[in-house]
Amino acid sequence: MENKIVFGKREAISCLLIFMCNQLFLSFPRNMADSVGNAGWILILYVSIICLILFLIISKLYKNFEGKDILDIGEFLGGNIGRILVGMIFVIDYVFIIAVILREYGEDLKIISLIQSPISFVLAFFAIGMVIGAYFGLEPLLRLGTISVPVIFLGFLIVLVGSIKYINVSNILPILGTGPTDIFIKGPSRISIFSGLSSLFLLTPFLGGHQNFKKSGIFGIVLSSLILTSGTLVYSLVLPYPTTTSSFLPIYQLSRLISYGRFFQRIESIFVLVWSMIALIYLSAGLFFSAYIYKKTFKLEYHRPLILPFGILVFTISLLPRSLMETIFIDNIIIRKYAWTVTFGLTLILLILASIKKRIKEGSLKNEK
Amino acid sequence: MKNRIRKISIILVIFILCLFTTGCYDSRELDELAYPIAIGFDKGEGKFLRMSLQIAVPTKIAGGGEGGGEGESGGMGSVSVMTVETPTIYSGLNMVNTYVSKQLNLSHVKTIIFSEELAMEGIEKYINAISRGREFRGTAYVLVAKGTGNTAEKFIREVKPELESNPAKYYEMVLGAYGYTGFTADSTLMSFYRNMTSYTTQPIAVLADVSKFEKSEDITVEYSTYKKKGRDYPLSGDYTAGNMPKVGNLKTEVMGMAVFDGARMVGELDGEEASYHLIVEGKYGYSYITIPDPEVKDLFVLLNLRQNRQPKKRVEMIGDKPQIEVNIKLEADILSIQSGINYESIEKIGVLEKAVEDFIKNGIERMIKKTAEEFGSDTFGIGEDIKKRFLTWDQWTDFDWKQKYRNSSFNVNVDVKIRRPGHIIKTIPAHGTQKGE
Repeated sequence: MENKIVFGKREAISCLLIFMCNQLFLSFPRNMADSVGNAGWILILYVSIICLILFLIISKLYKNFEGKDILDIGEFLGGNIGRILVGMIFVIDYVFIIAVILREYGEDLKIISLIQSPISFVLAFFAIGMVIGAYFGLEPLLRLGTISVPVIFLGFLIVLVGSIKYINVSNILPILGTGPTDIFIKGPSRISIFSGLSSLFLLTPFLGGHQNFKKSGIFGIVLSSLILTSGTLVYSLVLPYPTTTSSFLPIYQLSRLISYGRFFQRIESIFVLVWSMIALIYLSAGLFFSAYIYKKTFKLEYHRPLILPFGILVFTISLLPRSLMETIFIDNIIIRKYAWTVTFGLTLILLILASIKKRIKEGSLKNEK
Repeated sequence: MKNRIRKISIILVIFILCLFTTGCYDSRELDELAYPIAIGFDKGEGKFLRMSLQIAVPTKIAGGGEGGGEGESGGMGSVSVMTVETPTIYSGLNMVNTYVSKQLNLSHVKTIIFSEELAMEGIEKYINAISRGREFRGTAYVLVAKGTGNTAEKFIREVKPELESNPAKYYEMVLGAYGYTGFTADSTLMSFYRNMTSYTTQPIAVLADVSKFEKSEDITVEYSTYKKKGRDYPLSGDYTAGNMPKVGNLKTEVMGMAVFDGARMVGELDGEEASYHLIVEGKYGYSYITIPDPEVKDLFVLLNLRQNRQPKKRVEMIGDKPQIEVNIKLEADILSIQSGINYESIEKIGVLEKAVEDFIKNGIERMIKKTAEEFGSDTFGIGEDIKKRFLTWDQWTDFDWKQKYRNSSFNVNVDVKIRRPGHIIKTIPAHGTQKGE
């Protein structure tokens, strides 16, 4: 049924922005400071260029498979086994990432305001919202995302503009942070910050043509890069290194600093609103994709009955880390360093192999003729 | 039928959601909370801490301080002060919670006061604990209460504002007054924490104390810092908190600043030096400044001095020794010329400008040298200029700016432009029968 739905570029770009920029509202700017000092913004720009190049290669290879998502390509390459293998890798990837991010959102909310509530209680609210959102389906989610992205961006902009008073340019100096080796040699593994791009490889059948796919990807990467860079840059300009490595929720920290006279202060309420919106849309879309991939992997008729079991699975996995520190460790060290293997590594390998297979097939067809 | 079921379902969901919005584990009613507005820390017995809380009494604040009892007015009676001996900050809050009827909530704390003794020992562990707490706000001011003993508690107990019924607003206004007095510092919890961990800038805090003088007859200028500066008489900024020659119902004073090296207090600056500190930092708003008349001894010229441009600080390394150049641009309006000399005139204005420039330049050089040679603490962030010449963090930390700052030499250039003469554009001497009038 979903195959009848066609989205515009706006919806696809909004989806990518939510998938790639939600980390900015978690510990992302601090992770950047941990990696390269206050040169995190250079690292993001550098990684964005690599990501863009990889995407253009992927897009070029995708041209031969218009209207096919990554599972279809897996099937083309390896039949049912290929599809199931690729599908399961993506399902595990999504479920694992969403579970960790769900836990992070829950833990952060517990520190910010719901200090007495048990973590399972806080997570349950997110999980219920996530299940309801995913139940409505892809179209309402993406339409909601398209409406919400400008609102979220406005809230984010208020925090950035409000922080201008505290900016000190010398905070981003020395310009290369902890060193060029950390940025340019170790940096490429940080391409995982764009791992949300994998959602585009699942949206392909709904995008109505390769040009839309390509444009959505390019715009999504460029805009995400600008948003992630501006957030990290402002954070690094306001706080010096190594203070930037100590705040658990950097953008929240910035919003708490803002104070213009006796009237305009305590702006973190805007942050919490923006934060909740992006959490709800991101988690719902993530859960939807998990159920959708599973459905497609095993050629099931409906995805809706899978949403609740997947919601419970995500909720249960999210309770596995012992603490916020462990959750942040998993996010920063495992997800943000190795998620690229699925998004870029697996996709590229599949596309290259599928292209070779297609050429061989076409070649043999010509020979037969 | 289907639509009807859908409508009923929506209504049901709304009702169910309403149940959840009535509260959760964290629901706390406003009237069940007590809001401390100032917290003081003194050295306790042994390794303990003596913590004083000044808690707002909202009913008295709402009534504008009326009914405060015993003829109290303004903010008097609108606060309740309590002190506990405690091993740590948060266990102290626990102890207070056992005997106050409402649960303490720290989200309205405006001022955090450390005793000088505690500050001299180092306050890192307290600042870290406070910064970690979710209720404390980074905009709270950090103060050091001068003297020995329980000075923080003493200070808090003496804060009885008369003009302000809301004590929180009193702290906000008094501690934000550096913008038009220049005698204290902009020292918030966030800036203190940031500078405490910084490799370029060192933290500062506002100096606070209770007045030494009870009656007018007790007033003396012997506690002034003017003699150390080689002056014959004290000017308005030549005092630190507690030493101001004043009496009144409000006994608390904030004047000058405490200088830290890391988290340890290493010295203090008086009101005038605090003004110069603000000028070098680029945070000086405007204030009245008194300078000796350039042509007549023992008379003064009063100016309204302001800083409209950020100062420029440059560091050059001569061998291993930093040479620091500070260029400052200020503007001023004339408020009073006691000698009656027509300094407003085109011919004379240069004389006055030069005198002001020399006066401020000497003051700034004296103050900066003090921070470098005596305190070894770059509280202005001068090191930020040299930081940009390094490419990586390791190169910068290996340079060890803080050690090098101690051996710095300074060249301060001050440019003052007097813009306006006030309502009088030409001084006309009084005309009497006796000479010298």
